[in-house]
Amino acid sequence: MAPSKDKGFFTRRDFVKATGAAAGAVAAANILPSKADAAGKDRIITAHSQEPVQYNPLLYVNRGTENGPEAAMFDALWDMNEKGQFVANLATEVPSRENGRVSEDGRVWKIGLKRDVRWHDGQPFTAKDVAFTYETIMDSKTAVRSRSGFDLIKNFKTVDDYNVEIELAEPYTPFLWSWQEMHIVPRHILKDEPDINTSAFNSEPTGTGPFRYKSRTAGSHIVFERFDDYHRGAAKVKTLIQKTVPDTMVLYGQVKTGEVDYMMTSLPYDRWDEAAALPDRTFFDLPLPWVQFIYFNCGKPQFSDPKVRKALYMALEMQKSLDDIYLGRWKRTFSYLHTSHWAYNPSLKEETPNPQLAAKMLEEAGWKVGADGIREKDGHKMKFTMSTTAGNTARQGCQALFQQNWKAIGVEMEIKNMPGSVVWGEYTTKSQFDTLLVAWAPIVGMDPDYTARCHSKFIPAKYGQGSNYVQYENTEVDRLLEKGAVQVDRQGRKETYMEVQKILLDEVPFAPQGGVFGGFVRNKNLMGLKPNQYVTDSTWNIQDWYWG
Amino acid sequence: MGVIDAEIRAEATEPSALTARHESHARRVLRRFLRHRLAVFGGIMVVLLLSSALFAELLSPHDPLRIETSNRFFDPGQNLDYPLGTDELGRDTLSRLLHGGQVSLIVGIAAMLATVVTGSVIGIVSGYFGGWIDNILMRFVDTMLCFPQVFLLLVIAAFVTPTLLSISLIIGFTSWMEVARIVRSEILTLKEQDFIKAAIGFGSSHTRIMVRELLPNAMAPILVAATLKVATAVLMESYISYLGYGIQPPLASWGNMLTNAQGYFDTVPFLAILPGVMITFTVMSFNFLGDGLRDALDPRLKMEQ
Amino acid sequence: MLHFILKRLLYAIPLLIGVSIIGFGLMHLAPGGPLGVYTLNPTVSVQDIERIKVIYGLDQPIYVQYVSWAGNLLTGDWGHTFFGGRPVFTVILERVPATLLLAGLSLSLAILIGTAIGMLGAVKRYSIFDYLATTGAMFALSFPTFWFGLMAIFIFAVELRWLPSGGMYDLGEEGNSLDLLRHLILPTAVLSLVIVATWSRYSRSSFLEVIGQDYIRTAHAKGVPNRLVITRHAFPNAAIPLIALLGVQLPFLFSGALVTETIFGWPGIGRLFVDALTMKEYPVLMGMMMFTAIFVIIGNLLADIGVAMVDPRIRLE
Repeated sequence: MAPSKDKGFFTRRDFVKATGAAAGAVAAANILPSKADAAGKDRIITAHSQEPVQYNPLLYVNRGTENGPEAAMFDALWDMNEKGQFVANLATEVPSRENGRVSEDGRVWKIGLKRDVRWHDGQPFTAKDVAFTYETIMDSKTAVRSRSGFDLIKNFKTVDDYNVEIELAEPYTPFLWSWQEMHIVPRHILKDEPDINTSAFNSEPTGTGPFRYKSRTAGSHIVFERFDDYHRGAAKVKTLIQKTVPDTMVLYGQVKTGEVDYMMTSLPYDRWDEAAALPDRTFFDLPLPWVQFIYFNCGKPQFSDPKVRKALYMALEMQKSLDDIYLGRWKRTFSYLHTSHWAYNPSLKEETPNPQLAAKMLEEAGWKVGADGIREKDGHKMKFTMSTTAGNTARQGCQALFQQNWKAIGVEMEIKNMPGSVVWGEYTTKSQFDTLLVAWAPIVGMDPDYTARCHSKFIPAKYGQGSNYVQYENTEVDRLLEKGAVQVDRQGRKETYMEVQKILLDEVPFAPQGGVFGGFVRNKNLMGLKPNQYVTDSTWNIQDWYWG
Repeated sequence: MGVIDAEIRAEATEPSALTARHESHARRVLRRFLRHRLAVFGGIMVVLLLSSALFAELLSPHDPLRIETSNRFFDPGQNLDYPLGTDELGRDTLSRLLHGGQVSLIVGIAAMLATVVTGSVIGIVSGYFGGWIDNILMRFVDTMLCFPQVFLLLVIAAFVTPTLLSISLIIGFTSWMEVARIVRSEILTLKEQDFIKAAIGFGSSHTRIMVRELLPNAMAPILVAATLKVATAVLMESYISYLGYGIQPPLASWGNMLTNAQGYFDTVPFLAILPGVMITFTVMSFNFLGDGLRDALDPRLKMEQ
Repeated sequence: MLHFILKRLLYAIPLLIGVSIIGFGLMHLAPGGPLGVYTLNPTVSVQDIERIKVIYGLDQPIYVQYVSWAGNLLTGDWGHTFFGGRPVFTVILERVPATLLLAGLSLSLAILIGTAIGMLGAVKRYSIFDYLATTGAMFALSFPTFWFGLMAIFIFAVELRWLPSGGMYDLGEEGNSLDLLRHLILPTAVLSLVIVATWSRYSRSSFLEVIGQDYIRTAHAKGVPNRLVITRHAFPNAAIPLIALLGVQLPFLFSGALVTETIFGWPGIGRLFVDALTMKEYPVLMGMMMFTAIFVIIGNLLADIGVAMVDPRIRLE
């Protein structure tokens, strides 16, 4: 085998033959690869490129991959469906003013709980579990993933076994989202746990969800088993398996061969057409919560003037970057929301690319071309860096294009990419960057509230709180954001946030590029999936999946 | 014995005679090298590769950074304006290969030198002196081996501004241990051989014995290591750059061209094969050059003549 | 001999302490930390982050953190992962068998094949075989492992469908050794490739050296058969640098192969390391460094003993 192996590297065909011959002998002994397909319709195999290791729904979970076990084993009070509506899950109904469960001033919430719910170990689910979940979230010894909304609770009252009453310090409309993102954990198991952060529960949990934990093979897969007493009716398949396949292309290969029924990781853009043409597989694309931006650090002299930021934005071939680098898969947006979001302002207009106007605006703002061909003003050069996670080839392509666009109007941009842990560390949070190329999701679920990202009191470099890394300050935007957070009716909120989006596009503290889309593949006969752009877990309704 | 006799006699003779002897030695080495056809071929290839990188500006048909997305994914030969095709952004592959050579050859050669020199020095000193010097140096090697190379690269690179030289030194600093261990083991056997014992007996200085006697006789594994390290360093550069500590996009290197081609390995295979073949050429050339050098410098072959 | 081994094991203690201190320091010096995932979340406040720091003990000065880590280690407590809170020792141990199998098989195969290629290349120097072997080795070294891995999967798993594309077992086939064998073929072939290339080059040069030596020529002159000359006389001496190389490569049995394991979804240590490095799982990284250190010490100790056994003139000091 040795000599033929070496010869093999000389021509690819020899290589195929040589190794193939060796492999063939073994292959003949066993296998036809459609075994996974034939394994019957009693199990579903999903796969993600990252390995889920932490299943406690109150602690940090790696979005996408660790949402899988979470959705399989736990329930929240209410879910977010594919139409963007809250639907009751453990609660009897979603609280609102109409059904009298939210007080007129928006501060008192009454939540009723279903009576027929059981934990996987047979214990009944009660209001004590909800209270315990709240207490654990607020316990200073819990490394909770977020306390957003829960920190506004002034008083939490367990009325009886199936009713709780919550009083908020101030009205907060996204409060529904806070509960949607936190699943309920069992009090009877965790109450005596000395340290929830190292509890065995985190890797072998007990929930109320449609599937129960069965086993895990490290680095390979987790097996879940149907929970027959599930309160919304037992799941349609007996076994659910979530595999880990680290390389996306290999994962895609396994979907093709039938080793995987549903690919939770988004497919590379250049494979979408091919995937859509596969027999026996169904491809679908879906807006993901993220929108990609160029972040301008308004605290730097080059970017303090909104007109300059606008000019820099207008010089860019934004649509072309989406068409050519993201192969037209992403949709252009002019705001921090996808165009399909209910609060999106449809009157926003495309303004890029317009290099002539951009150059003129820079002239007017006092940035004149210097001897070296680069614009300058008051001793500052129009020269800056743009950073993002190193190794992201698509973003590198965008950067190269933007660099070329800006060079044409006398602006020099240097690419300075770093490992994720560096660029998104203090470099971002302490506003040390010039510009960033970054994709963010809205703040609380898919609510249009954007306070933490552009309210002037939320500049972390100045006030030690918030995520307004661009250091943007605008009193009108502040006022509108404060108004939107307490407004209740959807139309009123929509008008408020449309105004915010208009101002943001005028002043461009962050320049929106496009709304992120993902492409997913499933076995054609796998039914019941409901692609949902409002949540990050594509398996959110796993209890309804079945083989057709 | 002949070698040592010659050395000792040379020391005693006049300066002019010394020069003469060295000239003739150098000429002999050159003659033997030239007779080695593959070595000459390797040498010519190295010169060609280096000059193609040096004159990349003149040779390139296009600006290697120019994006023209309407022209992307040309196969080699499909469009004569782009003889070796274009990449995912429509950039000319030939121009990127030429410019990428600047980065990859510098890093490959510099990192190889750093690795081999550090490894050889530590290996020879450690093996020759033995005792506590050996112990300290080898425990240092052990220590370095305990940290995964990726981890070391990440930490060091985070504190050093990336330049071609710093990248090369970082690669060298994290990959010399294997060379040191191999060279040391060679030295341990050499040390027990008669001609070294004789040299020690004659009272030659330590430096002299190490440089004039031990180094030439341990040259074979060092040259192998050198060849191997050129290839590893070129690929390692792309890894460091991938992490964000090396060459920033849109600049090309063979390594990052390979990395970027990862997603197209089956759909546009040339994007990966071309830079890979360039690296293969480079390593082959160095390998043949190294073979020739070893034969030419081999002290035993010298005695035969 | 025993004295030598005991002495070396004694040296291992300061080495382990040194490695742990340097490792701990470097890890904390490296940019970014485990709390990055919280810092970037706009709904996590600065106060929350301070609180989480206290939970993980990251608010303490580094030396305090080190002392507490080392103290726990001495009592057999390797710490818990930050994410999931699982015991680090278990997390590492459950990955060891997969890596030992893949790396051990690849290393042994590659050494056998590589040494054979190198030896043949040296004996038949400048033959067609020698050139092909050289070219093959250079080719193998010039392309990144991920490329060979992806090509292999593309050809044999996706197109021809002869072999599985990854993992250790098919689902439901755990423990079936025939199934394991099928899963081993591709990753072993890819992983061996680079090692074969390296070994064949070193061993070729090593055998060339030895073949030119006086005693080999004497043996030839005495009429000893060629094969006997190579195996009896040349082999032991040529093996000396190779033994040193083996000593350096032994820790690889533990640390695994990052790229091969990732491409083939092999559930080994290499991938655990990548994940731990990404998430900055300090306790896992430290645990792995300690394990690696033990393998390094054993590897180089064995190499030194090996060299001394092959060449009796070398004394173990």
